[in-house]
Amino acid sequence: MYLDIIITLIKIAIVFGFVLNVAAILSWAERKQSAVMQDRIGANRADVLGFRIFGLFHPIADTIKMLTKEDWVPPAGDAFVHTMAPFLALFTALVVFAVIPFGDTLHIAGRDIPLQIADLNVGILFIVAFGGLGFYSVVLAGWSSENKYSLLGSLRAAAQLISYELALGLSIVGIVMVYGSIELDDIARAQGQYILGFIPYWGIIAQPLGFLLFFTAAVAETKRVPFDLPESESEIIGYFTEYSGMKFGAFWMGEFIEVVAVAGVVTALYFGGWQIPFVNNQGIFFPGLFTIPLPHVLIVLLQVAAFGLKVLFFCWFMLLVRWTLPRFRYDQLMAFGWKFMVPLALLNILVTGLFMYVF
Amino acid sequence: MKIVTQKLTTKESLYFFEIAKGLWITARHFVKNMYFHIAHLYGKYQEVPAAVTIQYPEEKIPVSKRWRGNHRINSRPDGSPRCVACMLCETVCPVQCIHIIAGEHPDPNIEKYPVSFDVDVTRCCWCGMCEEACPVDAIYMDTGKTPEPGYSREDLVYHKEQLLKETPLPNYQRSLNTPGQGPMKANPMGL
Amino acid sequence: MPTVTIDERQVTVDPGTSILEAAKKLGIFIPHYCYHPRLTIVDACRMCLVEVKGAPKLVTSCSNAVADNMVVFTDTPKVEEARQSVLEFLLINHPLDCPICDKSGECLLQNYYFCHSRKPSRFKENKVKKHKVVDLGPKIVLDSERCIVCTRCVRFCKEVAGEEILGIFNRADHSEIGVFPGKKLENNYQGNLADVCPVGALTARDFRFKCRSWFLCQIDTICPGCSNGCNAVVHFTLRNFNGLKGQRVFRLTPRENNDVNKVWLCDVGRWGYAFVDSIDRLTMPAMRKGEDFVKTDWNTALKETANRLKTLVERYGANAIGVIPSPHLTNEDLYALKCLFGCLLKIANIDFKVPGFDKGEDDKILLKADRHPNTKGAELLGLSGTGLSVEAMMDKVKAGEIKALYLAGSDPVKYMGEKAEEALSRAELVIFQGTNFNASCKLAHIVLPGATFVEKEGTFTNYQGRVQKVNKALEPLGEAMADWEIFTRLGQMLGVFPSYRSAEEVFMDIAREVAPFAGITYKKIGSQGIKLTLPEGPVLSEAKE
Repeated sequence: MYLDIIITLIKIAIVFGFVLNVAAILSWAERKQSAVMQDRIGANRADVLGFRIFGLFHPIADTIKMLTKEDWVPPAGDAFVHTMAPFLALFTALVVFAVIPFGDTLHIAGRDIPLQIADLNVGILFIVAFGGLGFYSVVLAGWSSENKYSLLGSLRAAAQLISYELALGLSIVGIVMVYGSIELDDIARAQGQYILGFIPYWGIIAQPLGFLLFFTAAVAETKRVPFDLPESESEIIGYFTEYSGMKFGAFWMGEFIEVVAVAGVVTALYFGGWQIPFVNNQGIFFPGLFTIPLPHVLIVLLQVAAFGLKVLFFCWFMLLVRWTLPRFRYDQLMAFGWKFMVPLALLNILVTGLFMYVF
Repeated sequence: MKIVTQKLTTKESLYFFEIAKGLWITARHFVKNMYFHIAHLYGKYQEVPAAVTIQYPEEKIPVSKRWRGNHRINSRPDGSPRCVACMLCETVCPVQCIHIIAGEHPDPNIEKYPVSFDVDVTRCCWCGMCEEACPVDAIYMDTGKTPEPGYSREDLVYHKEQLLKETPLPNYQRSLNTPGQGPMKANPMGL
Repeated sequence: MPTVTIDERQVTVDPGTSILEAAKKLGIFIPHYCYHPRLTIVDACRMCLVEVKGAPKLVTSCSNAVADNMVVFTDTPKVEEARQSVLEFLLINHPLDCPICDKSGECLLQNYYFCHSRKPSRFKENKVKKHKVVDLGPKIVLDSERCIVCTRCVRFCKEVAGEEILGIFNRADHSEIGVFPGKKLENNYQGNLADVCPVGALTARDFRFKCRSWFLCQIDTICPGCSNGCNAVVHFTLRNFNGLKGQRVFRLTPRENNDVNKVWLCDVGRWGYAFVDSIDRLTMPAMRKGEDFVKTDWNTALKETANRLKTLVERYGANAIGVIPSPHLTNEDLYALKCLFGCLLKIANIDFKVPGFDKGEDDKILLKADRHPNTKGAELLGLSGTGLSVEAMMDKVKAGEIKALYLAGSDPVKYMGEKAEEALSRAELVIFQGTNFNASCKLAHIVLPGATFVEKEGTFTNYQGRVQKVNKALEPLGEAMADWEIFTRLGQMLGVFPSYRSAEEVFMDIAREVAPFAGITYKKIGSQGIKLTLPEGPVLSEAKE
């Protein structure tokens, strides 16, 4: 019993350590990647004793700056809600990782350790539910700021989040239909099958349109370019106008954690989760030919690493999108969400159903 | 006013391919630049730049041969300024940034020398007329430098001693008689 | 009375007038070097050659007198060619270092070259090297290479300064100006050598390398050095940067006035301008706090002055105050002073004649023993003899009968020494109004900064009774104010007083109220001054024409 708790705590530590570190590094990566994409060099000036290590001290410098800045609460605002809102944003983004499987079940010392913090049988619902909860932080932040512009900004953000929530949920239905489960571990495991014996039966193969819709909606949920109207730092007054210091930093951090979370969910649902093509729990195999046996622990470690790499790739890809596309206009945003995404998601369900009926 | 609206083609209106095209371009830049960045770390392909950035205080843009930078006073072989304090630069200066105080030189053939020679770069407009007015090739704007920021106005007034220490940029077109490099230009005033 | 035609224009002049002067009368300028209106004609430079109809060759216009029906041409090709040749000869050995020559900008060689020649040199041989920077005494520096041997300086020393000191040594292109062995250039008129020298050979050490001539502005003024009132031009600059150390006035040069100074200026007056920008100028009103002076603003200082004067007058009567103006002040200043103290406060003890104020050295040429420019004016305005003399005032101060002294520019300590010092330190109130800090100012309780002669408009009356105008060249240093303005503001605080806005308004009052000045205006004074019709009676002992 105690051992279970300890093992769970270790898993939490590993997952949170990974997520929070990646999120912190993303703030650096965002600057450096945009610079490299634009033929620049990027932030490289923060130095400690003359060492600059490609500007990796910048996140630390940023954190120190944010922590030491004045933490200002609008006098007319609701101080409690104002303080809660950024933490709510952080919490909802972080808690999604509880249900994401990052490896196959580890058999060690006679115990089966599922590499997933909580193997909920409503995994997908949990993700969607907490993703949906994120919009509270937005609304509460805008409302508690006692600033009309912030309030309007938060309503705008809430409208966007709710609109894309729908497309997000509908696009997942296809996956649920295909793999017949809403448990993420089952879905990840099911993606280890092969079509015609050699094509990995990943979500992207089974649900290409579903993937595009899900990814698009997920980017919109993270409030990033091209859907960054809620923030749009330089143009519109957004919901966190009245935030300063580390509370502002928490929103900022929450956004990066959401990026990692979306990358994790996309990996789990559409990119085979922890699956590596042509590696099963025996070792490396070539369909219909032979198998190179590998020790169980090594396979699990490889799978965990593969999951991590896939997540990092999607983080990179989302930064790439963020620094490539221009921002939507608000009417375009809403029209795109309601008139394009939702019908297409419904169509996807229909087509998926037809396929399943036929085959 | 005529408003031209561009109609999107069917393919374009799908956005997907256009977005993919855009992502391809940025991804290509990323991969290419990343490749050279990493290659530079290992000392390879140093001649191919990975970024167009010029890291300003450490690196500087090579300036043109005719570019006018900070001022400099040419010196005689003995290190004293070639300036004879005729104040023609001070006279011609359209923004009055040069201030010279003249004194009696111990050598009667030189006669006059600048006791102080101040260039107030906060006022300078870099027109180069002082160079042209100078009858003895004393003042040049060929250091290739831009003024460094200062904490007070006084920091941005360059005095004779500083101006004498400056060295010319190699190959600067107007630099006719750099001390120690090539023959001195015949001076019309015999000084 | 011969009538000549110069460049197809006719002029009738006195017999014996030279062609050059006749042309000048017509406004035709003939370039010249050795000719100087106040010196003898030597015919040396050949620059003034003109063509005379009937004459076989060109003639020098400076030495040839006009004859009746003479026809002269000053700008024919032949004349121009002659001028070009003369310039080419002069420039053979003249160094071409105008940029460092102090005369450049006002050099006749430079000017004539640009007006008449503009030809490159054809001279290929080496130039004759001569002595540079020759010390001709503490005031004048000679550069023989630049000399064109016009001998103006030689003649000046002989004819005006009254001593043969300079001469030409060696021959031909080795000619050099020099001091005769055993003699020294130490007269009081050396400054004029730099003025008469048409090139940069003789330069004044005081001005040498201080400022380029083109940076200077000029305005007519009167030399404040002595009661002669020589007409002068003050050269000043409006530039201001650290290196100048606050110097604004650079030199005084003479201005022609045949009735006063001809075209000369003595060294005492010429180099007496230093007090204008000296470090001891008073720039802020100040009041004594214990041993020290505390800077204050005009309102406070003037209010304090007015209150204390008023209190003293009320308590002890008008005779408890003594006023000692200075003949350094202009007529306007003195008149405002008289209005304030004489008419408004009814003070009788006003006397400018500090014992010994007119006991300087008289050199019988220009410099007068009385080193104050406006003694005559002060006398005519009645600023002496109405009450006690300065000496008596000092005694009364010591006796405690006079409580306050108002020193308007005067420095009794300088002339009376310990006696005045003792008196001033005993007085209940000493107000010093003046331009520079001095021994009397040191003992004052209230210090009011006044403007110097270049910082205000006004008139001086010289020893002959000639009213001449000084003009405002510069703004008063710091917060200093023209003296008439101080008196006006003080007067308005003390009672009914005319609100003068300019020196000219004060002078209009003088012209109305003071008999000798009747009918004179600034316009009538002009640049040459106007002589007053003096009343009968004793005038200053020095008055002699």
